[in-house]
Amino acid sequence: MINAVLVFNNTGQPRLTKFYTQLDTQTQQSLIAQIYRLVAQRPASACNFLPLPPLLSQGASSSASGPSDAPTQITYRTYATLSFIMISTSMESPLALIDLIQVFVEALDRLFENVCELDLIFGYESMHAVLSEMIVGGVVVETNIDKIVAGVRSQEGSSGKRKAIQAGSAGLGRGSIPTLGAWR
Amino acid sequence: MESLWFEKSLYDLIQGLRSNKGNEEEFIQASLRECKIEIKTQDMDKKATALLKLVYLEMFGYDMSWASFNVLEVMSSQKYPQKRVGYLGAVQSFRPDTEVLMLATNMLKKDIVSPNIPNLSLPLAALPHILTPSLAMSLLPDILSRLSHSSPAVRKKTIVCLYRIALVYPDALKLAWPKIKEHLLDDQEDTSVTSAAINVVCELGWRRPHDFLPLAPRFFELLVDSGNNWMAIKIIKLFATLTPLEPRLTRKLLRPLTNIIQTTSAMSLLYECINGIIQGGILDGDDSLQERDEVATLCVSKLRGMIVIDSDPNLKYVALLALNRIVASHPMLVAMQQDVIMDCLDDPDISIRLQALDLAAGMVTSDILQEVVNRLIDQLRLASSQDASKTEALAHPDDEEPEVKGSDSNLPSINLPNDYRTEVAHRILDMCAQNNYSEIADFEWYVGVLIQLVRLLPPSSTEDAWLEPGVGGPDPWNITKDTPAFRIGSEIRNIAVRVKGVRAEATQAAEALVLLDNRPILFPATSNVGIDVLGPCAWVSGEFADQLRSPSRTLQSLIDSSNISLPAGTLQLFLQAIPKVFIQVNRGFETKESWKSEMTLLLARVVEFLEGLADHPDLDVQERAIEFLEILRLGAESLNSETEQVPFLLQSVIPSLFTGLELNPVAITAQKKVVLPPELRLDEPFNEDLPGLFQNLDNSPHDASQHHVLQNFYYLPDYTPVSQKSAIEFTPAEVQLESSYQGSDYLAPSDRRRERKERYRDDPFYIAPLEPTSGVSTPNNEGLDLDAIPIVDLKLDDAPQPAIRSAPKPRRGASRRMEVAGDETFGNEEAPLPSNAPGSAANKRSLLQIDSSNLGQFSLQEDDPIIAAEEDADMRKAMQNVEKMRLRMQRTSERIELEGIPAEGTLVKKKKKKTKTQDPDQPGAEKKKKKKKKEVN
Repeated sequence: MINAVLVFNNTGQPRLTKFYTQLDTQTQQSLIAQIYRLVAQRPASACNFLPLPPLLSQGASSSASGPSDAPTQITYRTYATLSFIMISTSMESPLALIDLIQVFVEALDRLFENVCELDLIFGYESMHAVLSEMIVGGVVVETNIDKIVAGVRSQEGSSGKRKAIQAGSAGLGRGSIPTLGAWR
Repeated sequence: MESLWFEKSLYDLIQGLRSNKGNEEEFIQASLRECKIEIKTQDMDKKATALLKLVYLEMFGYDMSWASFNVLEVMSSQKYPQKRVGYLGAVQSFRPDTEVLMLATNMLKKDIVSPNIPNLSLPLAALPHILTPSLAMSLLPDILSRLSHSSPAVRKKTIVCLYRIALVYPDALKLAWPKIKEHLLDDQEDTSVTSAAINVVCELGWRRPHDFLPLAPRFFELLVDSGNNWMAIKIIKLFATLTPLEPRLTRKLLRPLTNIIQTTSAMSLLYECINGIIQGGILDGDDSLQERDEVATLCVSKLRGMIVIDSDPNLKYVALLALNRIVASHPMLVAMQQDVIMDCLDDPDISIRLQALDLAAGMVTSDILQEVVNRLIDQLRLASSQDASKTEALAHPDDEEPEVKGSDSNLPSINLPNDYRTEVAHRILDMCAQNNYSEIADFEWYVGVLIQLVRLLPPSSTEDAWLEPGVGGPDPWNITKDTPAFRIGSEIRNIAVRVKGVRAEATQAAEALVLLDNRPILFPATSNVGIDVLGPCAWVSGEFADQLRSPSRTLQSLIDSSNISLPAGTLQLFLQAIPKVFIQVNRGFETKESWKSEMTLLLARVVEFLEGLADHPDLDVQERAIEFLEILRLGAESLNSETEQVPFLLQSVIPSLFTGLELNPVAITAQKKVVLPPELRLDEPFNEDLPGLFQNLDNSPHDASQHHVLQNFYYLPDYTPVSQKSAIEFTPAEVQLESSYQGSDYLAPSDRRRERKERYRDDPFYIAPLEPTSGVSTPNNEGLDLDAIPIVDLKLDDAPQPAIRSAPKPRRGASRRMEVAGDETFGNEEAPLPSNAPGSAANKRSLLQIDSSNLGQFSLQEDDPIIAAEEDADMRKAMQNVEKMRLRMQRTSERIELEGIPAEGTLVKKKKKKTKTQDPDQPGAEKKKKKKKKEVN
């Protein structure tokens, strides 16, 4: 079960927050801040798994081997200026989650054509639409990029307007997300 | 047209945010005000745009719960783009206490049965976020019908949605599961739907593995034939929960899994195969299957490969994770990989280090304990020496410590975060102390390790707590108990008490820590971390004072006037130690010529120190100080008379207070086994009219000035009797404390009481009117001049040996087997009940957790047809009542929600209670009863 999906940029500004449990806004913000702090201090060469932040480590029995409802894994990947985070229980495979983030980003890239942070800021709604084609209620429903993109396009009708906002961009955040090539 | 206006508006907001760098807060507040107006208009476009902007701002932490009704309005829009914004708003902003949801049921029903796929996908994706039991109950039939929708995209989302419905309303599974199973078994079904169903079964599976055993052949088929790695990973995860129940599965799975391990190129699948084999207990069968050994070897060698060959840190991390899971059951297999694991302890990645640390702690034996611990200490030493060189050494970073010769040069130099260092310290203590020190071969080495650890502890912010007035005073133990420093102190005490063979070494270690001269080195001025260590060390130096190297120096350190600023908990232990060490020092005087003058001098100094504590704000400290003060004053009096020899009082009366039976460790459960005397009635109040008594007390005429004097006497520390030779300056603190009372001092007593009542009116913890006592406690030691304390090198090894020592010191290295005293208890030994027992952990819910525990009591097994038919009828009846029920539940949950309790929680509790009393063998009967009870309700 995936408990939350977060996207924020390298200064900690949230770009997408999706919690699959109802959580008050204040706690959401402090959780984002705690996870950002963890991500920010990691070098690029480090592995893609975070230790649990203080907010999550209480109540989670860390070494219990069996599955449980408590989130115990935080997987993250950083693309250019953006970090994608998935908080999940032990029923998700950690390596598969890394790939799932890759699928998410590739789907966004397909939809926005050379996606960059600015596209995601202005295409805020579309980003939510992509995510809800992939994950419903914390359970993965689709991993096939073609089907995800088709699902979003069928919702949005014309997909040509996506890059319309480009004209107004002030330059910041331009430049597509690199390292999109197949990861493994 | 509307989409243009639409985008421009959110676009404006974002543009505005970007061009208002610096005063964003102002801009956002202005935008929020705008939105508040716009969202109230009748213009649907404007409303939806305002909502979208609010949702965007919600992401940055701006509450929009006030707009929940408007969210519903936008959700009910006829236009899809607006509807989508509405649903997004609901997902992002509805909380368990959002009440308007009750009004949404019909609209949701309408959207769910919409012929338009995008329209109907919205509620399917949004429902999991906003479900309540009553909503789940009334929407269930409509959602069930979507399972037969022609589009696989709808079917897969429906399956997941049904799962989330079952979490809040378990009975839904009765209807939903047979249909989900149909889709799962259908070969012609779209793979997306099958894999969504597998994902759901995977989540259900670990709660009720028995129910899914009959489906194992189908899972097996999907695993072998599907060729879909995502699904294969999930199926393997699922099998890991099934195999412990069905040994035959193990035999069947072994070959395909081995096959995957050997052939797959996908590392995630490979890893999950290994993980599944480990977690499914395939390795631990009792029959000696030859294949099993082969698989075990294969797995471990693959894991080793992941660590050694691949330079990918992720693979390293997950391999260690897997090894961590094997270590409990197959310590031998893991111990063979010791070399690579030890290398991971020095990995540049902290996450990997922590995993390796876990693993190392799990596999230590007496053979490798010293190696592991020395390695970790080296790490810490390197890190702190880096710190020291960075922050321009205040204290000597004592790298020439002869105890451990580390290979510092080949360690990677990375900056270790403080919490990692704290974790390492905890792990070292865990490893060494496990099983009552059974793995430690050389206790002298361990004492050395403890002393070094004190120095290597990182500064920690939590230790500042006692410095703040009002926090540390009343209950210092709770604050400091978990710090590594406190644990080190306790370890030294434990060793001194339990291991008689090294009691002398442990006592001298404690002495070294207590000595004032050493404090600047051990506890650098930049961190107050070591303070926690002092208490237990002082206790050890007192209790085993006869083992001290230099009792007089220890005593001087204990009664130094700078100690007054220590936390109360530490001072209590200091006070206990002072008379004991004093007696020991006295013993040394007795043979001397000048005994009388020296003793008089010493007594005067001890008395002076105790006088300083006689009005300490902490009552415990105060009481102990006064007790010892009075006894020692008596001693001083007896000296004043014209005696020629040591007075009887000082020679034997006072020492006899502290001698007698030796103290032994007592088991944590022992106290509980003491039978309470029958005449002891703890529940009976002393006085029935306790509140009344307080009332009277408060009504009594109260002179403000008198009150002030009392207040000062009890709560303001007065250190004037302490000689001013020390550099401590308390006056500023005193002034500050006094000013905090001003509010109450200028009011007449009756006014004060009224004001207080006002203040506490809403405080549930306020029982009866009491005198106001704002937080006053230990003074802070801001003025403490650490530089004035002379810096002297700590020499633990070449300190002069006491001349009288009879036993020759055993050579280092020739490790002796020490006798370790166990806990004393009586009756049968029971497992102690630490606070983190599994029971209490289960009760504590983690943040973000989606509770599926109520599925645990729910059976999915096929019932025999008669019962099933009965049940169907029953269910129909129940469904007819659903609508009626819903209304009633709405009313109750509205009531509940007003009190701030989530409706969901109360319902779950009710359910649990009922099922507990019923026979678990008859799910059908149980069902019926449940239904009926509900109707009665």
